Amino acid sequence: MVEFLHVTKTFKKRKSAVHDFTLNVDVPIFGFLGQNGAGKTTIMKMTVGLLAPTHGEILIDGKPSTNIESKKKMGFMPETPYFYETMTGLEFLRFSDELFETTSGKEREYEDLLKKVGIFEARNFQIKTYSKGMRQRLAFAQALVNNPKYVFLDEPLDGLDPLGRREMKEVMVKLKEEGKKIFLNTHILYDVEEICDEVGVIHAGNLLYAGSVKGFAQGKSLEERFTETLMQYEHVHA
Amino acid sequence: MRNIWIIAKNTFKLEVREKILYAIIVFAILYMLSSLFLADLVLKELPMVKSFALAGVYFFNAILAIFLGTTSFFKDVDRKVVYFILAKPVSRAQFLLGKFFGLCMVLLVTTLIFMVAYLAVVAYEGGGFDAMGIAAIGMQYLEMMLFLSFALFVSTFSTSLLSIVYTSAVFFAGHVVSQLVADAQAINITGIKLRLVQALYYIFPNLEKFDIRNYAIHNIAAPLNSTLLAIAYAAVYIILLLSAGVWIFNKKEV
Repeated sequence: MVEFLHVTKTFKKRKSAVHDFTLNVDVPIFGFLGQNGAGKTTIMKMTVGLLAPTHGEILIDGKPSTNIESKKKMGFMPETPYFYETMTGLEFLRFSDELFETTSGKEREYEDLLKKVGIFEARNFQIKTYSKGMRQRLAFAQALVNNPKYVFLDEPLDGLDPLGRREMKEVMVKLKEEGKKIFLNTHILYDVEEICDEVGVIHAGNLLYAGSVKGFAQGKSLEERFTETLMQYEHVHA
Repeated sequence: MRNIWIIAKNTFKLEVREKILYAIIVFAILYMLSSLFLADLVLKELPMVKSFALAGVYFFNAILAIFLGTTSFFKDVDRKVVYFILAKPVSRAQFLLGKFFGLCMVLLVTTLIFMVAYLAVVAYEGGGFDAMGIAAIGMQYLEMMLFLSFALFVSTFSTSLLSIVYTSAVFFAGHVVSQLVADAQAINITGIKLRLVQALYYIFPNLEKFDIRNYAIHNIAAPLNSTLLAIAYAAVYIILLLSAGVWIFNKKEV
């Protein structure tokens, strides 16, 4: 289970990016929904240890998310991934795995993983030759290289063509079937509706809703409900 | 330790793929080969040839150390490649130390290449095997490690361009600061002015400690005590700079 306990993040010269965020996530695919700048990425970066919360704590199976044992259970794909451009896709995957201290004789697994995300043919090409979609796929692959229990994906479908989006969503569903827990940041409502078991709606650093997708939609379209929720918030806080 | 090694190995692999590295190596070798022609025209004597070639080894390694130290770490942070690495079971200290050792490995290779070129030039000029030359280049390498640690330290809080400026300033100050103290004492400066000069002496690393080129040029054995002291001095300085770098990087929001 991923637990967020009164997590607040304040940046210098900026009001709080995340405010007193408390949430427990224990479903296969949790969609984190919010506009750009709502605080989704900040929460994910705090979870994987790239940022430190100003207050509060994030726990993975009861242990701080930044401790080594917790990190071994996590895979993370950042938004707009950047790579070492002169490395090949396969080299990057190998390097990513080596940092988990679990390697040796895993070449076959790397190849399977690259096949799974659809860039096997380009495995020996330098990353600087990759398209945006291929980079997204490689970022996805490195998030899975340690066979993590928890997968944190920040806007994983950005930059992919419709076919690529479909393939990636299928991979996520397959991961769900394997028993992995996926934490998905997105601002694309259709993706949430299609694959998420639960959804959290965040706006201006505040959690406005957490629960089932159907429960949030209340019979309306997700877009309609999302807009409504945000407008209600703005009205109250105007 | 394992992660430090993985990152060091990866840093080395990436840096040796940079074309600029080869350009500098080629220029350095051409510079040293040019001493063969200059030997006949201007330099005339072996000590002059040695001095010219050793200065080349030093100069080109310094350029490499400043270039590698100020860009490698900064690029990873600025281009957010660290997101992939720090989200894994890798501490920031391991990452910074991995970068340091990886860059040291690159400099070790270039130093060895330059050393071979230097020894070849000296042997061609009839100087035989120059053991003191090797020692002098070894001490230069130590100085370059210190440079790297300073450049990495500065890169934890500064941009690449400013890091180049700071590192170059320290490079310059490190070579004049001991002379400055000697001059101040020679002309009897006292009071606050002397304290200021002394403060500069303690703030900046004294890079002259690593310069045993004159011994190599004249083929005289360098004093062991001062050489060992210089090695210890470099080790302490490097540890302090890297520790400060880790401390700042731990507080930095990437």
